[in-house]
Amino acid sequence: MKVDTGLGHHLDKVKPSVQAAEAAGYDGIRTAEMNHDPFMPLLLAAEHSEKIELATSIAVAFARSPMILANLGHDLNAYSKGRFTLGLGSQIKPHVTKRFSMQWGAPAAQMKELVLAMRAIWANWYEGAPLEFVGKYYRHTLMTPAFTPENKEYGAPKVILAAVGPKMTEVAGEVADGMIIHPFSTLEFINTVTLPAIDRGLAKSGRSRDDFELSYGNFIVTGRNEEEFAASKLATQERIAFYGSTPAYKGVLDSIGVGDLQGELNTMSKQGRWKEMGTLVSDDILEKFAVVGEPGDIAPEMLQRYGSIVDRTSASFPVSDEEQRGAIIAALRAG
Amino acid sequence: MKVDTGIDWDLSKAGAQARELEELGYSGIMTAETSHDPFFPLLVAAQHTERVELLTSIAVAFARTPMTLANIGHDLNATSKGRFVLGLGSQIRPHITKRFSMPWSSPAARMREFILAMRAIWANWHTGEPLEFVGKFYTHSLMTPMFTPTNNEYGAPRVFLAAVGPRMTEVAGEVADGVIIHAFTTEKYMRETTMPALERGFAKVGKTRADFEISYPSFVVTGQNEEEMAISRELVCKQIAFYGSTPAYKPVLDSIDAGELQGELNTLSKQGRWDDMGTLIDDSLLNQFAVVAEPKALPTALTLRYGDLVDRMSAAYSNIAKDDQRAIVKELTAA
Repeated sequence: MKVDTGLGHHLDKVKPSVQAAEAAGYDGIRTAEMNHDPFMPLLLAAEHSEKIELATSIAVAFARSPMILANLGHDLNAYSKGRFTLGLGSQIKPHVTKRFSMQWGAPAAQMKELVLAMRAIWANWYEGAPLEFVGKYYRHTLMTPAFTPENKEYGAPKVILAAVGPKMTEVAGEVADGMIIHPFSTLEFINTVTLPAIDRGLAKSGRSRDDFELSYGNFIVTGRNEEEFAASKLATQERIAFYGSTPAYKGVLDSIGVGDLQGELNTMSKQGRWKEMGTLVSDDILEKFAVVGEPGDIAPEMLQRYGSIVDRTSASFPVSDEEQRGAIIAALRAG
Repeated sequence: MKVDTGIDWDLSKAGAQARELEELGYSGIMTAETSHDPFFPLLVAAQHTERVELLTSIAVAFARTPMTLANIGHDLNATSKGRFVLGLGSQIRPHITKRFSMPWSSPAARMREFILAMRAIWANWHTGEPLEFVGKFYTHSLMTPMFTPTNNEYGAPRVFLAAVGPRMTEVAGEVADGVIIHAFTTEKYMRETTMPALERGFAKVGKTRADFEISYPSFVVTGQNEEEMAISRELVCKQIAFYGSTPAYKPVLDSIDAGELQGELNTLSKQGRWDDMGTLIDDSLLNQFAVVAEPKALPTALTLRYGDLVDRMSAAYSNIAKDDQRAIVKELTAA
């Protein structure tokens, strides 16, 4: 299993961060899109590293035109000599329309079209295919030599999608090179919803699981002593409760027969009872979402649960001891 | 007068190139948006320089949403410690709708709103104003602490706007910090059309000429011998012909009574006869658009024509000896 880590947005700290990650043996380094541009840290990371893979996880797809994303993806992949993966997510309607002032349609259909639009642009740039992409959401029909990149050696980046629901997951299987499973997932949900949807998508495009990279950063509860363990457990219960309050994720709770919890958590969230919400996540529920154990048990348990399914993990390892963290990473990479 | 120059898209050379240009005495380093992302080279340049200003000249505004540009502008200004200038242009309708798949309508009014939307976002981030921007073209009414940058020391970048027609130029005067006059401009057009439009914009918001920068990337034909002069001349003629084929720029040709050339060039461009088009630019036309002089005579020629009009120029003299370039920059920046 490959192991990825996160990269912060402080541009002045990218160089030491990426060099430390590369030295620590991580396979990839990833940015999220929160309050900063998600691509710029990866450009500097490319400048100051040799082999580590670089990915957005995720950039908000619908906040941008496919052409802009095609250009960013091309430049980052060329400059990093083929190490870039464009990880995209849909965000939710209010953020796309009211924060970014962009269009929101049927998200899975729009995402499928956005990825196909980028691929049409790349096919035009790299193979000279005519650019005649006319879809429901996007139209790209104009390209001239002046706007065509010259440095084609590394071609298009890989494209991966973040998905939870079956429709977006199927789109990932159909048009993307991989998928990011949401941390708020259970093995039951992955087996009964995620994988069948991916396989339906892969079948549509005549591909198999070997052509597809699955990334999943499951929750981890651990610690070097009881105090650290308790803090890790509490933080994870609160995060699970936070995600569990979201109506769109009810299907995940249904997968372990606790769908009713969603309404309860949602009600509490509207009352601002965030701390209390975590107490509704029992040990049984916690273990469905998180790998729980001593630091030495984490890697074996992750490999046993997810090893045959997941190609790479971006889990955060909540141990403050660098040596222990290094041992977990090494064990996962060997497994 | 400030003197700017361009760096090209090759990110592996951008750092060294930027450092060299800073040492040569240039005031600013600019990127254009053609076949690559226009911000990446400036990010690399920012890490390798100390003093020089960094400008997009220009990035295509309507290819993006105000929110992603507000974010990019914030990040580049922060990492460059206040040296970034976000230079924006509208591009033309077919490129926005058919290349970028983004909306186009009333470009001057839309651009005005675009810049005001960015300023509303920055006011929210940097001074805590509520974000309630509801315009005709853009809506930004959602922002949470999680999506708000916290490194606010350098605030918003300056915003320059590229303009040709009187309406866009007036918008620049009203809402931007500077205008980038198109290289495809004659002195006559600048004095009779551009300057009065800027003054109308200033008057709307009580701005004065001193609050504002005028940037003009004049065409220059120069060389160290006749052969180099001829190469430079041919290159500039082709560029003039390329711009001259664009319907939106016809008024500039009209200013020197050469309006009918636009149709002729447009026809040739549609036949793909890009090389032939340059031959339609004769010496008298060339001299209206370009300053033609040997390296030693160049500073005086440029200052004579534009010294009382513009604050910063960006002429390309990369084809002549480094010492001659340094001498020209030194003489112009002292002027």
